[in-house]
Amino acid sequence: MLRAVVKASGRIVLPVFLVLLGANRAAAQATVSLPDTSQTTLLTATVSEQARIIVPASIAFAVTNVGNSTAAAPATVTVDRIVLATATKQVKISVQAAAASFTPPAVGATTWAAADVTWNVSSWTRATGVSGALSAVSFQQIATCDANAADCSTSDLTFTLGAKPTVSRAGAHTLVVTWKVESIGS
Amino acid sequence: MSFFPSLGIGGWLAIVAMFLTPASQAPRPMSFSATLTSIKVNARPGQVVTRQFQLTLDAGQPRTHFKARVEDWWRSQDGLQSHYAAAGTLQHSCATWTSLNPVESAVNAEEALTVRITVNVPRELAPGGYWCALTVDQLPDPAAAEAGVGVHFVASVSTGIFIYVDPVERQAAITGLRVDQERAIVTVRNRGNAPLGVEGRMQFLRPGSDAVVATIEIPRGTLLTEPIVDGDFAASLPPAGTLPSGRYLVRVVLDIGAAQDIGAEQEILVSRTAPDGPVR
Repeated sequence: MLRAVVKASGRIVLPVFLVLLGANRAAAQATVSLPDTSQTTLLTATVSEQARIIVPASIAFAVTNVGNSTAAAPATVTVDRIVLATATKQVKISVQAAAASFTPPAVGATTWAAADVTWNVSSWTRATGVSGALSAVSFQQIATCDANAADCSTSDLTFTLGAKPTVSRAGAHTLVVTWKVESIGS
Repeated sequence: MSFFPSLGIGGWLAIVAMFLTPASQAPRPMSFSATLTSIKVNARPGQVVTRQFQLTLDAGQPRTHFKARVEDWWRSQDGLQSHYAAAGTLQHSCATWTSLNPVESAVNAEEALTVRITVNVPRELAPGGYWCALTVDQLPDPAAAEAGVGVHFVASVSTGIFIYVDPVERQAAITGLRVDQERAIVTVRNRGNAPLGVEGRMQFLRPGSDAVVATIEIPRGTLLTEPIVDGDFAASLPPAGTLPSGRYLVRVVLDIGAAQDIGAEQEILVSRTAPDGPVR
């Protein structure tokens, strides 16, 4: 909670105001004391824990050889304007697939499992990144922003789709994945 | 002499297409601000607690649908996996007595979604800590489907709800202390009846000396009472120049929110793999 105290001070404000009116009027100035200068006004700004999150809306794998793994273009993830209750709390970023496998272009066609998508540690600014693989069961951590960091980000988070030689149908193989931003602490 | 080079029809079509096509085919990133305040209340049975969650879409964002829910939540011992499950999965869940309004809403750019959270603490409730998570999910946009092989992302924000009913027993024991690659890890077991906020520091001393070579802070983490009562709390080692390889007496002191801190010490061989750290 941010608290600011403003104390009324007639001794300072009034003479300065008179000086600003002009030097030839300075002779008329007088120091006037307020009856009670101990009056205070407490201004309180209640600040919630908060952050701004910027994550990619999608990534595409340009699969030209199902026998090789395919990397997507590096993704940028940013968490900024981080405001937390203590200097030791942290924001966690993780991902979870909405299904155990991609949705193939034709019903029953072979496609990739969610776990075939992996990511690198990547170079994070003010965060610790970890590599991992997608799961449809739990959120897998991608990074934890440093304690007391006002922001954290990466611009080279690379998701890779593993080789799957048994895929035989071209077209849209898609998967919905959730970015989770957590700040859960007792 | 013509001012324009001879490109042929194909070349001119390519140039026209370049000006008609947006600079980037990639969809605009999802961008929003959200409150992350966990609700922590020392409550009496029968008490009603209300709070608000707010999410604001940034400028330029498309109209987006969100759905809010209360669910159970826990983490793996190493903290790398977060599990979310239906309300009431855990014995100490507060999800079944927490309600939200609205549950589903559409938000335009620069507009705020405000969710009112109401916790109705049951009248018959055993002492201890109860917890659940408020989750606000972005709903997938069916129109956003793209051709090709790819992943469509949606965003989700979760904050914690912790309700404590007296008498709360905050008790824990340090059960392990180790250095793993470039991190120091302390394992703690929750022996009380409530979730604990755990934070502290770890000191490295030369055996037989009181001189502290290095101190690292252990960021705040949460240790639950179920389904996993053990938690690893880790911190990166300082640079190898500050803490070179060698044998150290490692002393850890943790604040678990109880009247007294808990501590432990153990002699550990530190083998630095990186000449200059810290390594992420």
